Formats: sequence, structure tokens, C-alpha cells
Amino acid sequence: MHEAFFFGPDDRQIFAVYHPAVGADGRVLTVICPPLFAELNRTYSILRKLAVALAEQGQHVLRLDYSGTGDSFGRLEDMTISDWVEDIKLAVQEGRELSGCSTVRIVSVRASALLASMSIGAANDIERLVLWDPIPDGSKYLQALNREQLAVLEQHHFLDRTMRHKLTCDYDMYRMSEQMMDEFRTIDSDVYSNVPRNKLRVFNTTSADEFPVQGASRDTVRHACNWETNTEGLIMSQPILEGLSKCLTEH
Amino acid sequence: MPDRALTEVPLQFGEGGRSFGILTLPDTKLRDPLESRVFVFLSAGFLHRVGPHGLHVLIARELAQKGLTSLRVDLAGNGDSLPRNELEYQQSVTADFKEILSVLESQLGDVSIVLAGLCSGADNAIRLAVNHSRVVGMVLLDPVCDKDSGFTARALGFKARAFAGKCTALFRYMPWLNRRIKSLITPSSDAEETMDNLSLRDIPPREQMRAAFESIRDRDGRVLSVFTEYALRYFNQSGQLGRVLDVDRYEQYCTEIFWPHAEHNYPFESHRRELIEAITTWATGQTQESLA
Repeated sequence: MHEAFFFGPDDRQIFAVYHPAVGADGRVLTVICPPLFAELNRTYSILRKLAVALAEQGQHVLRLDYSGTGDSFGRLEDMTISDWVEDIKLAVQEGRELSGCSTVRIVSVRASALLASMSIGAANDIERLVLWDPIPDGSKYLQALNREQLAVLEQHHFLDRTMRHKLTCDYDMYRMSEQMMDEFRTIDSDVYSNVPRNKLRVFNTTSADEFPVQGASRDTVRHACNWETNTEGLIMSQPILEGLSKCLTEH
Repeated sequence: MPDRALTEVPLQFGEGGRSFGILTLPDTKLRDPLESRVFVFLSAGFLHRVGPHGLHVLIARELAQKGLTSLRVDLAGNGDSLPRNELEYQQSVTADFKEILSVLESQLGDVSIVLAGLCSGADNAIRLAVNHSRVVGMVLLDPVCDKDSGFTARALGFKARAFAGKCTALFRYMPWLNRRIKSLITPSSDAEETMDNLSLRDIPPREQMRAAFESIRDRDGRVLSVFTEYALRYFNQSGQLGRVLDVDRYEQYCTEIFWPHAEHNYPFESHRRELIEAITTWATGQTQESLA
């Protein structure tokens, strides 16, 4: 069973689903930070399954939607990186209160890896941070989003010239504020360096490991997620599910 | 809550709380006590209740600003609703809908329903409307429609215009041209993938569709159908659906919108805005002329 609810500040209530540990007192809380934009829908199902699997293995789990995304409140164009970083902190706090756990693990996907790393930094109250196919830095992420936008545009022959020009120049699929784009540009790989290496666990689905920090633990399960070229296909891989679960339950 | 004219309530409902949805309620000041309609957004394909690019969330909240209530649901096996492995797909959707009606009745009392869905969501809405008297409206996003007698000629016109457009701005279409050439050499083209997408749908036959539209008419309800670029394989003129269905008084309660510039999943914010505006205008009873 699970419990869905809204929490957080009045002006941007955050949607979350809490999965209590099954049949045990559950000493570990795992917070699942989903990826952003199109990747959110692609991973919704597998991250839900991950939550259920972890709960069945005796962990408490909290899944959240960042403000302005999914079922959470707030307009995407009003959000900033700081809001999302704060969302993670609030989710950890909420999860601790619900579960009574002091040991907290976080799993974050793609650009969420940057946010989660910013959120915990050098804080010592997070035991483990699992990063699934982490984005190396914010600039590369914006470039990838723009490439996705151009690829979608290419398939649409009926857009008029003005609209096409406008859409080529912005991120209309995901309308972010200027402030957020500026913030993304300034996020570099140092955000990962600030997290103690012994807490980092990188989970890759390709052999092209772009993660900038040496010495972090790495796991690889080959699967063609095609993050940049497939904006709609669900990721339902059992090996990924098992791999992530292992990263979050192994001692 | 400041600046928020609505409340959202997560609902776990059905047998053992197996189904999940989010109820969006407008502020009491905005609610019309005579308004009994609840918009129900059916999840489509493998997407969960938020819809493609959060479309269902955006529409639900915009409707609430106009005083209208809605529920966005995960059909069994999607999002946070458990699958019904023992049932066939259509049986499962029917079982879901019974639970949806039940939870809405327990939360809101005697309500009437406007079913809204994109793609397979539209197919499900049509099937459910036939047998459920509470359904008084449908918002169908890219429903499937038979071709009418003028379809082929119009399709040729569309293709000619598209080809002329490509010739006048060839540089823009080089990637498309490359893909077409590649697809001729190795037959695994985009076109095939798109056809597969359509063939995956469990499309209601024309008679069932006609029955659904007649049911809505007999219940004094209304239907809004929106067709995008995706529909060009079978639909290419506003009014085609009405001609194909040939239902009495169709024009009086049905609205068709044809947007070949928009994409099936509404990936662009500008198109999402356009759709939300159209649906809220329709939902609040604006004239059909202002939409068409």
C-alpha cells in the first residue's frame, strides 16, 4: 500500500507518494527524485516499481514530483533551481517525519542527479546517493534539451515559419524561466565533487561514462534508454530495476 | 491557500484502494451549485494520469479556475493503479469506470460525467459513453474517424502543399529527406512506426461511435473532438466526423476542431495553451462558432 499527499509551502505544494516498509520496522528511508520533463513520464512506472520493491525489502520510500512538474503545484516557468533543490530537502524532512528513519538514501535520475547533489552537498545526514545516468553538468543538459526540441520540430511540417523560428530558439517543450536556464548554465561538475565520494554510487545504462568524479562506485546495466532520441518510450527494464534496487539495498 | 482557487485531493479508491486519481475542486466561491458536471481524464496508453507533457494537470487546473471539477485517473496498470491481470483490457476499463463513478458519488453526490481522453483515452471514452447514462459529454483528442468520399482528393492537396513547402525551404527538410531516402533503402521508416502506433489502438467501430454520439445527444450533452497532424491519415477536414457518423442534429451539440499544425501529444507549450483555451471555452458553454 501507499499514501499520496501534498506537502510543503502553500504556494507550491509538492506531490508525493509514501510507501511504508512492508513487514518490518524499516530503518532506511529512500527518497526517489525523478528526472525532469519528458523523462519524468518515461520513468514513472519503473520508479514506482522500484519504490514497491524497496518497500517489500523493508525500506520506507518517498517519491516526489518537483514543484511545477507532474502533479505538484506551481507553474514551471516560475520555478528556479533553488526551488527544486529545496524540494528535495523538504522531501527528506517529510520522509524522516513519516518513517522515523535516521538513515536516508537518495536515488536521482539524469538532471535530478545535479539537483540532489546540490541539495545534500557535504551534509552528513545522507548515507548514500545513487545517480542513474547522471547529467555531467547543466550546460550539457540545456544543449540536450534543445537538440530534443529540434528533433521534434523536424518532424512537424505544418508549423508556420514564425512559429518554427520561435520554437527553434527556445525550449518550448519545457518552458523554463530565464533564471532557471541561467542557473542550469552555471551548474558544473563541481556539484558532484562536493559530495563525499564514499556516498556516491553511479548507475549507468551505457558504457559511455561521462560522470566527472573519479573514485565513485559504479554499476553498469546495459540498456538502450536513448534519453535524447526517444522522448516518449517507457523504460520498463527489469535489469535496470534490479540494478537500482541492488544499489539501494546492498551494504 | 494564497492565489489558488482550487484544491486537489489524492484519491485511492476501488477494491482495497487499488485505483488512484486526483480530484481537482474549484474554490467554493467559483462553484456553481447547479453545475453537476465532473470532467474525468482517462489515462492514455502507458502514460499516467498527468497526461503527455502534464496536459491533464494543466487542463484540470484551468477548468477549476472556471468553477469546474475534474478527476484525472490512472486506469488499471498505469501510474499508481494496480493492474487487473484477470480481466481483458476493455473489461478492465469498464471495472475502472464503475469504481470512478462510485468514488465520485461518495465524494460529490449525484454527478454527471464529461469523459476526456487522448488517443486510446478517446477510444475508451466512446465505449464507456454508450452504456453509462451519467456520461453527458466527451472531449475526444484524436479519435479515429472513417474517411469520407472527399478524403483522398483533400489528402492529395495536403501532400502537394507540404511538398511545395519542402521545395521552397529545402535546407530545413534535409534531415527529413535523409530519413526518407534511408527508409526507402531499409524499410523501417517513421511511417511504419506511426502506423504501428495507430494499429495498437483498440478502435471502436463506427456503429459504436455513432451510438455514443447519439447517447450524448439524447442526454442533452455535448461533444468536442480535436484532430491534430496525427489524424491526417484518416481525417483532413473539419466536419468530416459529422459526415461520417451522420447523426441527427450533430451540428447542434458537436464541435470539431482540426489543427494539423499541432502534434498528437502536444509537445509544444503554445499548442498546449491553444488546446486548454479551446477546452475551457467549450466547457463553459461558449458558442461553437468561436471554437471552430
